[in-house]
Amino acid sequence: MSRKPTARKDADQARREAQEARLDAAWETPKSFRYWSAVNNTEVGIWYTATSFLFFLFAGALALLMRAQLAVPENDLLSASLYNQAFTLHGTAMMFLFAVPIFEAVAILLLPTMLAARDLPFPRLSAYGYWCFLLGGIFVCGSIFFNAAPDAGWFMYPPLTTDTQQTGIGADIWLLGLSFIEVASIAAAVELIVGVLKCRPPGMRINMIPLYCWYVLIVAGMILFAFPPLIAGDILFELERLANWPFFDPQRGGDPVLWQHLFWIFGHPEVYIVFLPSIALMAMIIPTFARRPIVGYSWIVLAAVGTGFLSFGLWVHHMFTVGLPAISIGFFSAASTAVAIPTGVQIFVFIATMLAGRMVASTPMLFAAGSLAIFVLGGLTGVMVAIAPFDWQAHDSYFVVAHLHYVLIGGMLMPLFAGAYYYFPLMAARKLSDRLGRWVFWLMFLGFNIAFLPMHFSGLRGMPRRIFTYPGGMGLDWLNLVSSIGAAIFASGVLLFAWDALWGWRHRAVPPRNPWGAGTLEWLNPLPGPTYGVRSVPEITSRYPLWDDPEIMRRVDEGREYLSDAEEGLRETLVTSVLDAKPIQCLRVPGNSFLPMLAALLTGAVFILTTFHLYWTGLAFGVAALFAILAWLWTGTSLIPEKAEKDIGKGTRLPLYASGPHSVGWWAMFITMTGDMTAFASLIFAYFYYWTILPVFPPLDAAGAPLGPGLFWPALAFAASMTAWGLMLWARRCNTAGRPGGLRLALLLSALFAAGSAAAMLMGPWEAGLDPESHSYPAAVWVLLIWAAVHYGVGIIMQLYALARSLAGKLTREHDIDIRNIMLYWHFAAITGHVTLVTVALFPLVG
Amino acid sequence: MLIFNRKHADLWTLLAPPAIWAIHFLVCYVAAAIACAKAADIFASLHLLRIIILIVTLLALGLITTAGLQARRHWGFGTDDPPYEQPTAEVRQHFLGYATLLLCALSFVSVIFVALPALTITDCR
Amino acid sequence: MARLFWVMLVAAAILWVAVLALAFHARRRRPSPWQPRNAGRLILWAGAIGPTLLLCALLVYSLRLMPELRAPGGPLRVEIRGEQFWWRVRYHPPGGAAVESANDLRLPVGQRVELSLSSPDVIHSFWVPALAGKMDVIPGRTNRLVLEPSRTGRFRGACAEFCGASHALMAFTVEVMEPEAFQAWLTREANPAAASAEQGGQALFLKNGCGACHTVRGTPAAGRVGPDLTHLASRPTLGAGTLENTQENRVRFIAQTREIKPATLMPGFGMLPEAEIAAIAAWLGTLR
Repeated sequence: MSRKPTARKDADQARREAQEARLDAAWETPKSFRYWSAVNNTEVGIWYTATSFLFFLFAGALALLMRAQLAVPENDLLSASLYNQAFTLHGTAMMFLFAVPIFEAVAILLLPTMLAARDLPFPRLSAYGYWCFLLGGIFVCGSIFFNAAPDAGWFMYPPLTTDTQQTGIGADIWLLGLSFIEVASIAAAVELIVGVLKCRPPGMRINMIPLYCWYVLIVAGMILFAFPPLIAGDILFELERLANWPFFDPQRGGDPVLWQHLFWIFGHPEVYIVFLPSIALMAMIIPTFARRPIVGYSWIVLAAVGTGFLSFGLWVHHMFTVGLPAISIGFFSAASTAVAIPTGVQIFVFIATMLAGRMVASTPMLFAAGSLAIFVLGGLTGVMVAIAPFDWQAHDSYFVVAHLHYVLIGGMLMPLFAGAYYYFPLMAARKLSDRLGRWVFWLMFLGFNIAFLPMHFSGLRGMPRRIFTYPGGMGLDWLNLVSSIGAAIFASGVLLFAWDALWGWRHRAVPPRNPWGAGTLEWLNPLPGPTYGVRSVPEITSRYPLWDDPEIMRRVDEGREYLSDAEEGLRETLVTSVLDAKPIQCLRVPGNSFLPMLAALLTGAVFILTTFHLYWTGLAFGVAALFAILAWLWTGTSLIPEKAEKDIGKGTRLPLYASGPHSVGWWAMFITMTGDMTAFASLIFAYFYYWTILPVFPPLDAAGAPLGPGLFWPALAFAASMTAWGLMLWARRCNTAGRPGGLRLALLLSALFAAGSAAAMLMGPWEAGLDPESHSYPAAVWVLLIWAAVHYGVGIIMQLYALARSLAGKLTREHDIDIRNIMLYWHFAAITGHVTLVTVALFPLVG
Repeated sequence: MLIFNRKHADLWTLLAPPAIWAIHFLVCYVAAAIACAKAADIFASLHLLRIIILIVTLLALGLITTAGLQARRHWGFGTDDPPYEQPTAEVRQHFLGYATLLLCALSFVSVIFVALPALTITDCR
Repeated sequence: MARLFWVMLVAAAILWVAVLALAFHARRRRPSPWQPRNAGRLILWAGAIGPTLLLCALLVYSLRLMPELRAPGGPLRVEIRGEQFWWRVRYHPPGGAAVESANDLRLPVGQRVELSLSSPDVIHSFWVPALAGKMDVIPGRTNRLVLEPSRTGRFRGACAEFCGASHALMAFTVEVMEPEAFQAWLTREANPAAASAEQGGQALFLKNGCGACHTVRGTPAAGRVGPDLTHLASRPTLGAGTLENTQENRVRFIAQTREIKPATLMPGFGMLPEAEIAAIAAWLGTLR
């Protein structure tokens, strides 16, 4: 027998082992205390999931306290103050510290595996988001132990909450918690949009991506348009509390209803933001147990996109009783009714797939079935409350409490539990117990219905929401007692699950590879999977590659696909085109670093110190945070590779560096600035909102002329701003032409003009004597100009950064990511500045 | 133009129909909010506003129909059946066209739903 | 409205059972699964077209109902202000002088009454479940709500928007009466308080400054910060539905105001001697 085949086999084996060793080394999970510097999606995802779950348990404990208080009429277990803190924190923590973060957590964990990617495109950003979330959550939840929790509902309506006499530091703490989640959510939106559109395996065209990816893509887009109005509202809210600017004070031209608009423009899409990613898990689970591809893939796309858009036309249905005109209410009632169409389509896609399949029973399917039963009921009561005349009775009563819990538990929590049982093997290389799972399910399902079904009736019998007690003899006594018992049963199911998920699984056997026999890529790896994720990145030719390509596991395992090695010891993943997933770049992603944690702690410190009115210390920490972020950017972004291209396998060479619209960093800037523009649009909306509600707007001065920043300073600011922007264009031109001297000069001059413009912006209202404490109009003018000026300030920091990068030789003609991204920022900033100036200067002339 | 005469379907053509719905919604809502905020008598007739809403509605329905005709072309007029899962550019185009067509239908119906209040509610009460 | 509710409830129940039965059937193993094309038809008809038609019909029905519910009321108009944590009520009978009261709303049966709703402090919500949907009271705007009670009786109302620590203790009563009985009551209510035997109580009331916040017409007490107490004894409850209106409870409320209703504006008068409080409470009990 010739030695050659064996020799070749040995050589091949040696090659593979060497590759695996290099991949292991590049993607190694750090040890001991350095473990916390990990940025890989697996570590960050596990921390995120565990932390969200712990906040869920905390918020659930608060609910048990509430139900204990309400079990009997006129109870005095909890004082009014403590009860009000409990229900506020229950809602706030559930929505902001559990529902949104868990979707982000699951996406961070699962998305790369579904796309055969080794990591998300911006690992440090995810890590930063996580640490912000952890810090903010501890702060908000910890407040109740100091009797300082927010206590006016999770939506904190002014004027009650802007009255610093009546509402203490809890409101500021609430705002703080929100700020962290807002930051983490925008970060998640960036990751998910870029991840789904640009980081797919070669060949996975847009008509073949997993349905989970469609859903999170839509949701990420929704975040960009839903969270910023809340950010804008939060700014106005905190300015009223800290500086007495009367945005919501009707005696000085403000309006409490403005807050409601801004909050609910966020708040309604928010519930779809938490619902859609959970239903997305169902879209992944049901085909597996139906043993066939989904029936109605295009219908799911319709449902996800349709729900995403329509959900932005619903917000006033939370305000049906505010006294708005019936015709306005009608529009929102119509849209609220219409949204039931795409929502219902999804249900029928799942049913159709089950009907066309050969169903196999399993614990995930048990939760899926329970989810359907509960969610459909919640959806039907949702149609009822979409009908305004009925909502005029049901609003702010326990009927709505029942409705919202039916849709949230049915549409969000149950699918999440189904996903937990389904994906646990992927994360822990063990299954959760099926036997205990049946107990968990039935305790939760029965407990939930026993708790919440009676609430429909207590609401219709006249029980309002957010009451710490109720009088006996109103027909509410038995209903409330039954609800409280149900809550306890539900909680026992959750605790049983928690035990299994935290301890029970540890001594079980490792399940086989792809234990459920699924067809999608996240199940490609053996269990437990290696730290580097997929062994090599396969070319995809089907929606369910594991079913349609029986050789795929072997090819991937043998390293015969793309990126089977890490020759330079660096972490790499692929960037592909949007529609057809053609490979266009080999992206090097950063490895472990403590910088994201440091930056999060420092930014967090700024918010926390501001909450306690320690402004100067806060400013100092802000400067420190800025340096941390700059260090992170300098060491981890726009790195110049040692060669222009690299061989990624199968005879393909890809560039290692891409700039402009081809670069993921440019996309991240574009996406972030879209969110920023939405916040700006919300502030402009506030300005014009005051015009609609005030008979004279702008108010007149002593001489009878409309108040305003005048024309001179805004015109000066406008001219300086246009010059600054033009100089930036010239700077980019110089760089493209290979003239670093011109680039640096242009950057410097542009920064000077930008600074001048910002100063002129603020001189206008200053010289005109506009007092922001006196009336909502000067406050609105000031807030718009400060917003624009701060954006110019940030832009100046970017310009100086680019200058430094150029001087350090890291920004050159060929390697121009920095200037391209900063130019993009300046486009958005200039629009902000110019729209602001035109509005505040010219509207007084016409308004 | 985004909604007609485009050779290739992409994510922008997919999102165009619901975007038209969103703009229609905003115009109707803002117009009604301003009309009623500035109205001295809440029982005065909203004749002008309702005409505006009718025009904007017909415009939106026309644009969505145009987008739908293009989507149908991208879909290949239904020459092949779902699922559109083959790894070819042609099938990817058919998928995008089909999904866009479904979104056109939903957007069309949703525009009508949103315009309905202007039929039965004639003042600012 | 009630008909609308029952239609929606029955339809919802039927739909829920139907969808769940279908899902249950779908879960079971079957020898021959559905053809994907037929399953796709199910999505189109049951998931999209069917719901669209049903929802459209429901929406149109409700859009026609809405302007009816907001048709103008009158000629009787009642102004209601929600304050932390009670309800200021001011009747404006046609062609008559305004009559001020608190927490206890009386209405004639069978007439459309136009309510004007506002608030000087924070957002509350005026809700009488048995009579109508709710309407928020919001600082800076005046909302309107029309009540047309169709049967006599006493009904409970509650504040339905979180308004502070004692939000749960901001209820009120609505008594619907025959029109003649209502007229008679309104005339009595417009009169000042009758001279009372409990002169000692009245003097203590004025001496301790209660008149700075409360009005009792017919006495020097003319404060407008708190509820008008001129006919307090004719009201079924104290403290906006918090306690039954008895001598013992009046004593309790005066002495332990903030223990009973946290964060309320009225301070407690527990520092006064028991006998004084009892006398004031007794005098209040004569203000029919």
